Amino acid sequence: MRDIAIVAFAQAPADQPAGQTETLMLLPTITRALADVGLTRRDVGFTCSGSADYLTGGTFTFVQMLEAAGAWPPIPESHVEMDGAWALHEAWVRLQHGDVDVALVFSSGRASLGVSLRETLTFQLDPYYLAPLGADYVSLAALQGEAVMARTGRTERDLAEIVAARTGLDVDKLLAEPYVVAPLRTHDIGPPVDGAAAVVLVAGDRARELCERPAWIAGIDHRADPHYPGVRDLSRSRSTTLAGEKAGVGNGGVEVAELHAVCTPEEIVLADALGLGGDVDVNPSGGGIAANPMMVTGLVRIGEALKQIAGGRSRVLGHASSGPCLQQNLVCVLEGRN
Amino acid sequence: MADPVQFMSHFTTVEYRVPDPSPLNVYFAEQLAKGRIVGHKCPQCGKVYMPPRGYCPLCVVETTAKDEVEVADRGTVTTFSVITPLQYQGQEETDDYVQATILLDGSDTTIMVAHLDGVAIADVHSGLRVKAVWAPESERSGATGSLARQMGLGSAVTSWEATGEPDTPRDHLAEHIV
Repeated sequence: MRDIAIVAFAQAPADQPAGQTETLMLLPTITRALADVGLTRRDVGFTCSGSADYLTGGTFTFVQMLEAAGAWPPIPESHVEMDGAWALHEAWVRLQHGDVDVALVFSSGRASLGVSLRETLTFQLDPYYLAPLGADYVSLAALQGEAVMARTGRTERDLAEIVAARTGLDVDKLLAEPYVVAPLRTHDIGPPVDGAAAVVLVAGDRARELCERPAWIAGIDHRADPHYPGVRDLSRSRSTTLAGEKAGVGNGGVEVAELHAVCTPEEIVLADALGLGGDVDVNPSGGGIAANPMMVTGLVRIGEALKQIAGGRSRVLGHASSGPCLQQNLVCVLEGRN
Repeated sequence: MADPVQFMSHFTTVEYRVPDPSPLNVYFAEQLAKGRIVGHKCPQCGKVYMPPRGYCPLCVVETTAKDEVEVADRGTVTTFSVITPLQYQGQEETDDYVQATILLDGSDTTIMVAHLDGVAIADVHSGLRVKAVWAPESERSGATGSLARQMGLGSAVTSWEATGEPDTPRDHLAEHIV
């Protein structure tokens, strides 16, 4: 295995002008990520992006986004119809081939163009049993919340405390709000926003040259649970546990975990599944519950994990999720070594 | 006992908002309403993009108002198609017609699906010089449109007519066919 590090991360500012295109959200973001470590687009050996046409209702929209990466003269590139974290995994695999040293990963999403993200995401469900019911992701997360509370004895107050601890909001005031879907209230659900982000991966000595303290990928793995939520115990996430084991979370533990939870019960399920103790700082960035830029939220978790390494931490993890009720999970363990 | 379910209808919809026009769309339309066709000239390679995109996809650099150039309202047919309309409900065309691709003087990008007015199909050819037929100023919808698709050239230019000038040499059209 080659040593591969994440050396740069950039995220598009939240205050984009009305009507801004995804290409123009990405272009300066990619430039910034590369420039951070003194690279240009010419230095990139492989490019991989993540996005989903369903969000904007366009077709092959990733082709326009590629213009932000620079695709002339032609470049080797690939795309996943998934969160950018899976594009990062593909780029890591590609760098393992050994013939290229620098990979660019980016993703973007404009959920604001769908009238309802809850409606749009029903299309990720099986078309026979669940999609016709309109089982949207918030309702499914609510079922997951009930399952978690039934198994662990946790309460709605415990869910609210996750938010209160990070925002300073008053738990009783949060609990006085009406349900969106019981047991979930507005504060339990990460607000969908538009977003774009880019990450630069570099192999071996090249990473050491470019960056004083690269975030080395000590382990990365992704696993999937059965697609149909009805055949699993929603209070647990076996695929997260497995991905965490394969990525080596247990081999030395982690100081910080950035978890791709977009509803509060998911954060409990994930922390349990990864065996995170009380000493682990979970989602210091606010996580997906603070803001949920669809297709970018997972990549941002890994980017936030990189920031923790840059800030002096030595072992952290970034996690990404996809599908109904945390169906697919990716765990990336980063280590800081000067 | 009720009969077992054998069929179930599942009608589904998913709704999207038409994106807000980008600031560049709006500006382009405002200029069209004044009779100006504007583009952005890449500060690196010098190619002119009309309408302006805010970046050069070849050099991957952003372009801004300081890169603005005015493009002529006349140019050259690079390529064209003769359309034979099939009849279907809502089809208004009955006779063969031409859709042309036009390279405006001073631009490196072409206008596609342009309608030629008063040119016999047999006379349409690559290299033909044409100029814009502008809608009366009061009918140029771009500046008052609310959707990006109402802000293109079609919001101010109704069609294109032959100028009678000599043909543009083919060499000039290289790299500008579509």
